[in-house]
Amino acid sequence: MLVRLIGLALLLGIAALGYRWWQGRQGMVRRVERPGALGVATLGEQPGKAATFVQFSTPICAKCPPTAVLLKRVAGERADVKHIEIDAAERLDVARELNIMRTPTILVLDSDGVVVARMDGAPSEAQVREALAAVPPPNEYSI
Amino acid sequence: MTSNDASTATKDIQIDPRGYRFGASVTLVISIIALILGANPAGIIAMAVLALLFLPGATVGPQKTVQSWFFRKAIRPRIGPPAETESFRPPRFAQQMGLGFSLLAVLFGVLEIALGFYIFTGFVVVASFLNSVFGFCLGCEIYLLLKRATTRAA
Repeated sequence: MLVRLIGLALLLGIAALGYRWWQGRQGMVRRVERPGALGVATLGEQPGKAATFVQFSTPICAKCPPTAVLLKRVAGERADVKHIEIDAAERLDVARELNIMRTPTILVLDSDGVVVARMDGAPSEAQVREALAAVPPPNEYSI
Repeated sequence: MTSNDASTATKDIQIDPRGYRFGASVTLVISIIALILGANPAGIIAMAVLALLFLPGATVGPQKTVQSWFFRKAIRPRIGPPAETESFRPPRFAQQMGLGFSLLAVLFGVLEIALGFYIFTGFVVVASFLNSVFGFCLGCEIYLLLKRATTRAA
């Protein structure tokens, strides 16, 4: 009995620590260097003129709908920023190629459709703005 | 549009997230009792009761469980309507995982493989602990990984 009680306390302690570690990483903005642009074939629609939030969701995801609301609101502040949502469970090929492990994951594209940053797990509004600020301004001379 | 065809099965239902968090705390209490009782008839019966409680939530949805009925009758009238609602799909998936794990715990218990009983009861304890205490949906994190692992690349 005593052994099982100690085992239970350990189990809950480890679970709580693991949870805190996992939550701390949630939404963290990471710079990405990935050659090649994402186009209409992958996204299903035209990316934004200056930047795009590409949100990967699944139907089994409690944080995905509120994250979509947040991203739509921030993207809606500018005409040249767009929010595109992709069902990762349906587009498993894309999820594998882009290394999507959890939902929501948000890729941030620059004006050319190149991934410049990503957030794994639901971000806060500050993190969303930080990610958007990481996008370099459109290159006037790009073709 | 939503007639008696397949579209009704895929229709989303919005539920009170506090309801299934209450349900998770019921799960937590029962699975902790089972873990402390141990891999013997008493512990196995506790996990079998838990599996029965999971059954309606895993098949129809978390809004049809005994726990959610109790929540609607006894708790919600005291705390008022929810500030926001959530889709029933993540908690239904969680109930399916819970049902699977508690049935495996019962199976290992009956086969007198104590380690198996403790591992799967432990899974239920951890998942319901994270859900009830932190509001964390473990199934949501696992779903895509499961889908990636079980669906072969085209």
